[in-house]
Amino acid sequence: MLEAKHLSKHFGATAALDDVNLRVDPGEIYCLLGANGAGKTTLINVFLNFLDPTEGEARINGLDVTQHAIETKRHVAYIPEQVMLYGVLSGLENLRYFAALATGRHAPRAHLLVLLSDVGLDEAAALRRVSTYSKGMRQKVGIAIAMAKRTRALLLDEPTSGLDPKAANEFSQLLRRAKDDGVAVLTTTHDLFHAKQTGTRIGIMKRGRIVADLSSEALSHTDLEALYLQHMQG
Amino acid sequence: MVRTIAAKDLTTMFRDGRLPWAGGVVLALVVTAVTVGWQRQREIASERAAAQALDYDDWVAQPERHPHNAAHQGMHVFKPDPPLAIVDPGIDPYVGSTIWLRAHRQSELMFMPAQDATGLQRFGELSAAWVLQVLGPLLIIVLGFDAFAAERELGTLRQTLSLGISSKQILWGKALGQFWGLGLLLGPAAAGAAIVVVAGRGEAIDVDAAARLGWLGLGYAIYLAIAVFAVLTVSALGRSSRVALVTLLGLWIGTTLLAPRVASDLSRTWKPSPSRLTFNADLGAEMGRMQEQAWMANFGVATQWSPDLPLDKWGVALQVDDHAGYSVMDRHFARLWDTFGEQQRVQEWLGLAAPVLAVRAFSMAISGTDFAHYRTFSLAAERHRRVLQDLMSEDLVERADPRGTGHFDYRAGADLWRRMPPFTYAPPPVSWALRNSGRSLAVLIAGLLLSMAAAHVAVGARRTV
Ligand SMILES: Nc1ncnc2c1ncn2[C@@H]1O[C@H](COP(=O)(O)OP(=O)(O)O)[C@@H](O)[C@H]1O
Ligand SMILES: [Mg+2]
Repeated sequence: MLEAKHLSKHFGATAALDDVNLRVDPGEIYCLLGANGAGKTTLINVFLNFLDPTEGEARINGLDVTQHAIETKRHVAYIPEQVMLYGVLSGLENLRYFAALATGRHAPRAHLLVLLSDVGLDEAAALRRVSTYSKGMRQKVGIAIAMAKRTRALLLDEPTSGLDPKAANEFSQLLRRAKDDGVAVLTTTHDLFHAKQTGTRIGIMKRGRIVADLSSEALSHTDLEALYLQHMQG
Repeated sequence: MVRTIAAKDLTTMFRDGRLPWAGGVVLALVVTAVTVGWQRQREIASERAAAQALDYDDWVAQPERHPHNAAHQGMHVFKPDPPLAIVDPGIDPYVGSTIWLRAHRQSELMFMPAQDATGLQRFGELSAAWVLQVLGPLLIIVLGFDAFAAERELGTLRQTLSLGISSKQILWGKALGQFWGLGLLLGPAAAGAAIVVVAGRGEAIDVDAAARLGWLGLGYAIYLAIAVFAVLTVSALGRSSRVALVTLLGLWIGTTLLAPRVASDLSRTWKPSPSRLTFNADLGAEMGRMQEQAWMANFGVATQWSPDLPLDKWGVALQVDDHAGYSVMDRHFARLWDTFGEQQRVQEWLGLAAPVLAVRAFSMAISGTDFAHYRTFSLAAERHRRVLQDLMSEDLVERADPRGTGHFDYRAGADLWRRMPPFTYAPPPVSWALRNSGRSLAVLIAGLLLSMAAAHVAVGARRTV
């Protein structure tokens, strides 16, 4: 569903991505773990065609993202590290707007409110202007937008940043349900605990390279903490 | 998609106060301008009609006198105020509306074409046309300078693009949002103006005025659309909304405030027109030559009004003298006015760089307050003057010349005065105005295509991250 082949991205002398290969199949949650500056966001940006790769290719649903920039984006939903919304609109209005752009039709208000309450925003909060929201609340609206799109793949760039532990936990369960429905999820994090909690597969990224790629079986008998620390220090 | 984006933009423009405040100010100015224009027109219309009637009554009621004295006293004609002068008074405030028809000379009232009075000069008279031409783009800048720039800064552009929306769709959505916003403000104002213009004179519905108003609406719609796409272009290219705003304000000052001044100077350099003094001197010299030739040929005397002319030829001489001058005046005035027309054309072409020049020309032409309309009025007035002169001279030939040395004892009365018809003038129809406006309209359309193309290139050129 999501595939990177020999993907490299250079900013001048820095290699933000260096020969990255990965594949996320339907029903998988691939969790990309890495410190700040490892290249996680760059990878997501390449998948969204916000950046052109220096080498290699990224594919969504078998389509090259540079050649099918618009169409590939229709197959994925994206949640950025900082969900950006219109401050003068309410959470509900933001959701209605972005969901309409994503799906091409206007969802009924009741349906949108259910989506928002699923991610932990009650109606009173949903009707307030986003300018009064905390970062976590904006993040929840972003999650609801992604859910409204109902795609077969998710690209998540540190989606739980700013969420309190309870909300983060609920989000993990949401991802699990999506996975069970056959959605392919690529999510990044620098939070080892979160990675362990949600990922069915974990990749460790360091200076643009994937230095370890652990399947769910491998995960069960690997000391991830030790491995991660080893990579971080080395 | 496009409509969804437009609706969102409209909502945010409302909520952040820009549409109500900036738009409200412009709307208030338009409404005030139209109202003031309407009142002014009602006064003018009745004043001019009254003056025209009074002047003719005076003419008919004048005492018995020598017809040439009457010709010297002459009469006045008044230019009727076109209905759309409410919206665009054009050159009317500069050239006046009265022409004095008197013996020997065509009125040179039309000498100073104020058609290119600059934006700043026109600050003084608040007209709806001026508000739309100068403040319209400023309003669009206020509404749209951050259309792309702020969304890029905020990150919402990224969010939108990540949904599989193309930057072209966003461009059209934003353009449509601006059109809706402008339509919301100006639509009702235009409807109000339409009622005032078409039916406001309490007469039957003025079809010609209605058609002119429709074309005027089209012209301004194109002009404002140019501004919308230009603003979106700069907003898409600008590094930040602050840079976009500063750039746009600079462009606004350059293209709407300074450009008219520069265009006016350029047009006079490329198509020089004589000064009033030179024009009068040249005209006088050639008329003198032609008239002296005519005197020599007809009466065998070397100078005009020579004492050697027998008095029983005095009326004939007046006729000969007048007619010898007519073609000279026609030629000189035509050349002068053609030069003004050429200057005007230069300015219209410069409208490709500064659309305000094109829309100004279009607006005046369609409103019937431009130089071309004035020219037809001026010609009608001159025709009327010649009717007056010829009538007086013919009467002299018939009645005074036979008296010989008693020529100047002849007195004519109301019978003769009444043979002079009152002045009537029907301004040319909208179709005529349109034929004169093809160039400015084409320039406006070209400007729209250019700014649309620029906006498309701009949104494609700039990455979002
Ligand atoms: N637009 C850019 N221009 C130059 N360097 C960049 C740009 N984006 C990211 N980088 C660099 O690429 C590397 C990876 O960054 P990023 O993908 O944001 O890391 P992460 O998301 O894992 O924290 C960093 O060294 C960062 O400084
Ligand atoms: Mg990052």
